[in-house]
Amino acid sequence: MIKVENLSVSYSDKDVLNSITLEIPDGSWTCIVGPNGAGKTTFLMALLGMNAYSGSIKFNGREVFKDMHRNVAFVPQRPQIPLGMTVREYVGLGRSKIDGWGRERRIGRAKIYQTLEETQLIGMQNQLVTQISGGELQRVLIARALVQEPEIMLLDEPTSALDLHHQITTLNQIEILKDKGVTIVSTMHDITLGAMYAERIIVMQNGKVLLDGSAAEVIHSNELKSAFDHGISVHTLKDGHTVITANKIRNEVI
Amino acid sequence: MRGEDSHLGEFLRFRETLFLRGTTELKKLLRAKALISAVFATFIISNIILFPTSANAASKYPLVITSAGFQAKINEKPTRIISLSPSSTEILFAIGAGKQVLAVDDNSNYPLNVPKSQLSGFTPNIEAIVALNPDLVILQIDSAKSKSVRDSLTKLRIPVVMEKSAAKISDTYNEIELLGKVTDRSSAAKSLTTSMKKRITTILSASAKKERYRFFHELDNTLYSATSKTFIGNVYKDFGLTNVADAASSSDSAGYPQLSAEYLIKSNPQIIFLADAQYGETAATVKARQGWQGIDAVTNSKIVELPADIPSRWGPRIVDFYEIVAKAIK
Amino acid sequence: MKLEMQQIKPVWRWQVNAVFGLALIVVSVVAISIGPVSLNFNGIISTMLGRDSLLTDQERTLLLEIRLPRVALAALVGAALATSGAVYQTVFRNPLADPYLLGAAAGAGLGATIAITNTGKSFSVVLPLFAFLGGVLAVLATFLVAGKFYTDPSSLLLSGIAVGSFATAIQTFLQQKNSAVLRPVYSWILGELTVADWESVKWAAIYIIFALGVLVKISKLLDGLMLSDEEAFSLGISPNRIRMIAVGAATLATATAVSVSGLIGFVGIVVPHIVRGITKKATNRALLSIALFGAAFLVLADLGARTLIAPAELPIGVITAFIGAPFFLFILKAKRGRSQ
Repeated sequence: MIKVENLSVSYSDKDVLNSITLEIPDGSWTCIVGPNGAGKTTFLMALLGMNAYSGSIKFNGREVFKDMHRNVAFVPQRPQIPLGMTVREYVGLGRSKIDGWGRERRIGRAKIYQTLEETQLIGMQNQLVTQISGGELQRVLIARALVQEPEIMLLDEPTSALDLHHQITTLNQIEILKDKGVTIVSTMHDITLGAMYAERIIVMQNGKVLLDGSAAEVIHSNELKSAFDHGISVHTLKDGHTVITANKIRNEVI
Repeated sequence: MRGEDSHLGEFLRFRETLFLRGTTELKKLLRAKALISAVFATFIISNIILFPTSANAASKYPLVITSAGFQAKINEKPTRIISLSPSSTEILFAIGAGKQVLAVDDNSNYPLNVPKSQLSGFTPNIEAIVALNPDLVILQIDSAKSKSVRDSLTKLRIPVVMEKSAAKISDTYNEIELLGKVTDRSSAAKSLTTSMKKRITTILSASAKKERYRFFHELDNTLYSATSKTFIGNVYKDFGLTNVADAASSSDSAGYPQLSAEYLIKSNPQIIFLADAQYGETAATVKARQGWQGIDAVTNSKIVELPADIPSRWGPRIVDFYEIVAKAIK
Repeated sequence: MKLEMQQIKPVWRWQVNAVFGLALIVVSVVAISIGPVSLNFNGIISTMLGRDSLLTDQERTLLLEIRLPRVALAALVGAALATSGAVYQTVFRNPLADPYLLGAAAGAGLGATIAITNTGKSFSVVLPLFAFLGGVLAVLATFLVAGKFYTDPSSLLLSGIAVGSFATAIQTFLQQKNSAVLRPVYSWILGELTVADWESVKWAAIYIIFALGVLVKISKLLDGLMLSDEEAFSLGISPNRIRMIAVGAATLATATAVSVSGLIGFVGIVVPHIVRGITKKATNRALLSIALFGAAFLVLADLGARTLIAPAELPIGVITAFIGAPFFLFILKAKRGRSQ
């Protein structure tokens, strides 16, 4: 379980996260939404232990600690792709700090192969990472997070750069992980999509939690409109799905 | 056996020098084998009376000499010398030790029939030197890693004579006499230095001048020059000439400053010596330089193209350089 | 234009190291067997194995005191430069980085110039020390100049250029005022292993092997530096700490190499790419292979330096440049081809 108490992060006098308190139970999928600059990514970074913060973040009772990578994996929005690396090497990076030499390495290698198979990447394991498509890259990033054998997976905008098909396939893959017991925390722009998969949605605005509840609660809440500082319409379709669209206002340029 | 040889050799050389004094009695004594010992006695006494110094004594091996601050122990008379210094090469051949020279470096080009090799005097290759099996190496202290080269050669039991560039003419004389001692050609060395000194004195006295000419010694066409503290500068100084480069002597500790064209024109030298004549600078090219037309040396056509090498070697040919300068200021 | 989907199968690692190690031994044996003085091959082997030698005393001294330390030094320097180059290429995410970035070369050159200028005829004794200090101090200065941006690779690079230019300017000024040092300094800068003795080999070995050991030990973690800082963090790698350790160790190895052999170029850039090309491994687990290959490479280059125009010596920097320059063009072509 992730327990966050009074978490505050500031960059040069500006409060990016302002006293956030919440709990994320094991095996759940929490989706964090909000406008740009709300602090979503900063929140993920704080969970990783990358920022200086005040307050407390505890994983199963332990404050953010050094060897966290064994428990927490991260899928970035904009990865840095080194030249000349094959998919297998790139995925293998996930085990950089886990495996030693000799026997440990053999175990690690087996784990990497297993993951490549599970994510159906085994066919392109010898291709250069620079030469695969966006959807495939997303699968690779998830695979790299998986080889760490984490309990918790943090994903930063996992579907923002993908087409429709890959958006669904990626989220389906994450759902499989959730069913296996991995705790998922993802940031997303598309609330509709997030609501389809995550059981809990947290809406952030200006570094604070505006709304926190189940997908259904949040979508139908009245305060949702104020979160985005823009007119939105909530439509419930015949098959039960809820869709949120933004209202187009002519000549609104700022 | 060896002792007798050297004594006989000494004696023969002694005889050569005394020949001028017309000692025909000695000629008669020579033929009398039984009186060899009397001759021997005469030789010793004459040596002590007429030549109080041991300048002409045969070199006694093993020999320990110090040069450029380094000691060298030479066990026997060297007959397979490698000279890695063009100046030393000239000296060796001038004192008659040419037969003892095995090979010289790639820059040694005088006299014309020296056994030039591809060995480098600047970046000596130890193995290449050893491969020729020398029994003595003459090495410039300015060459790369000279101390390590010397140490390595010494470890391989090859003696090394370290040589420092001459700063003034007396260094040259010392060098000549040192090499004479090393190669057992001391008397030839002594005669060489004596004759050099004599010629130079003659040259200098013949060109004693009332005025002090201003001159400029050009090393290259970007106006690098040599001040009076350099070897070549000292030669000019002996003539009492004024070196326009001396005003810039603080800008280079080694004595080779670069002058600005403005300063040079202002200092108005009366003679210009071109040490870069071998690189294509001539009186004509100098006259064509912009702004130089007003300089005395150009107006009076007192521009001397120096031959290659002579101004940059400190050996017997430095006397030739004195002659060139003397002729130029006549 | 049809995009070629490259399939890259990396070569098994420990076999590569064994092959390279063997190559190093073979090349070293060849190197000590060839030279202007020809030595009986059996004599060489028996001397090396410590048995009663078939060589004369003088030949033994030549082999053990002159050739062998030189080959040993070439191997150490080659390993140091190649590995440092590979590490710098990772840290700065730049495939053209060389071990002399961050002002190490200029600093060492300045140190050498100061040594030659101020200590007269005994400069050969203190020169390695001054060059080493110069290199290390220049890199420290680079970090100071980068200030609080010292963890950002591009800021570090820029400040390295600044420090390097400054050091070169001072060096040029000193040379102007003391023209007599020009030749020794430039001959040193071109890189020379002309004279090596066991004392220098001992000190070089201590520093270089230590530095390389550190680098090989953290080689897995170095891969994290090729990713963004957040990704590295998420993999459990503290990017700043690893960057500092890596740069520190690489600088130590480079400064030591420079202090005994002057500036030998191209080894640091070219060898990592050659090895990566052979093993098809882009990760830093290839570091040991790079070290071994670098050692063999420089031993071979030094052999060329002293035999190609014998009895004169070719500066070793010329040979590495002759091999390195065309190789550069090859890399550029390959990069351009791949990105199209």
